[in-house]
Amino acid sequence: MTDVERLFERQALWQRSRRTLSWPEKIRLAERIRPTVQAFRLQRERRTARDASATPAPPRAPSGPTRD
Amino acid sequence: MREVAVLLNAMRDSGVVIDYALFGAAAQMRYTEPVATLDADVLVAVPAPDRLDVLGSIYEFCRARGYDTEGESVRVGTWPVQFVPVFSPLTQHALAAAETADFDGVPFRVVDPVHLAVIALSVGRARDFARVLALLESEVVTPAQIAGLAAREGLTDAWEQFARRFLDD
Repeated sequence: MTDVERLFERQALWQRSRRTLSWPEKIRLAERIRPTVQAFRLQRERRTARDASATPAPPRAPSGPTRD
Repeated sequence: MREVAVLLNAMRDSGVVIDYALFGAAAQMRYTEPVATLDADVLVAVPAPDRLDVLGSIYEFCRARGYDTEGESVRVGTWPVQFVPVFSPLTQHALAAAETADFDGVPFRVVDPVHLAVIALSVGRARDFARVLALLESEVVTPAQIAGLAAREGLTDAWEQFARRFLDD
């Protein structure tokens, strides 16, 4: 097992161990990380908006007579 | 979240809702490790579900107690609470089968793990599939229980697809 695999395994074990906390305690943990989650989402939304505005618009279809 | 439970119990006691149950990520955490979430989703059965403004009386009840709306949510303490009227037989059954948990001394109605899993299965986004997997991994539900409820709710295809994609070796 590599160092990275060992690190992942330790991380997974630690994460699983959080299951044994009481429900209110888990909710409080979720409350504590919420500002970070919000910051990540805001960052992602800004990036998406920036990427969308940087993408050139597709060429418009030539105008001409249309049929119903 | 305790404040949310107190508000929801008051709402039910006053008859504004017939019943309520927490679902989504906040409910999932009762059974699994903590997960990141920004809001609390609450299933509600209202006395007049055919009203055009089906959530109007809920918002009014909240506003009278100092809880303001924020988009489609109501801010209760640190939690934006999203009220979702029961919208299908599955959600009706989930509400009927909800359990009463204890949250810091306050009773709090919560959707049980099997219904949580099958609701997630029916929604079918990546994060919903992650919820089903987390519930299975925490051993609060078995594949047979999910398959059974999925069959009763007409979701056998969705379950079989899920099982093929995530559970078959």
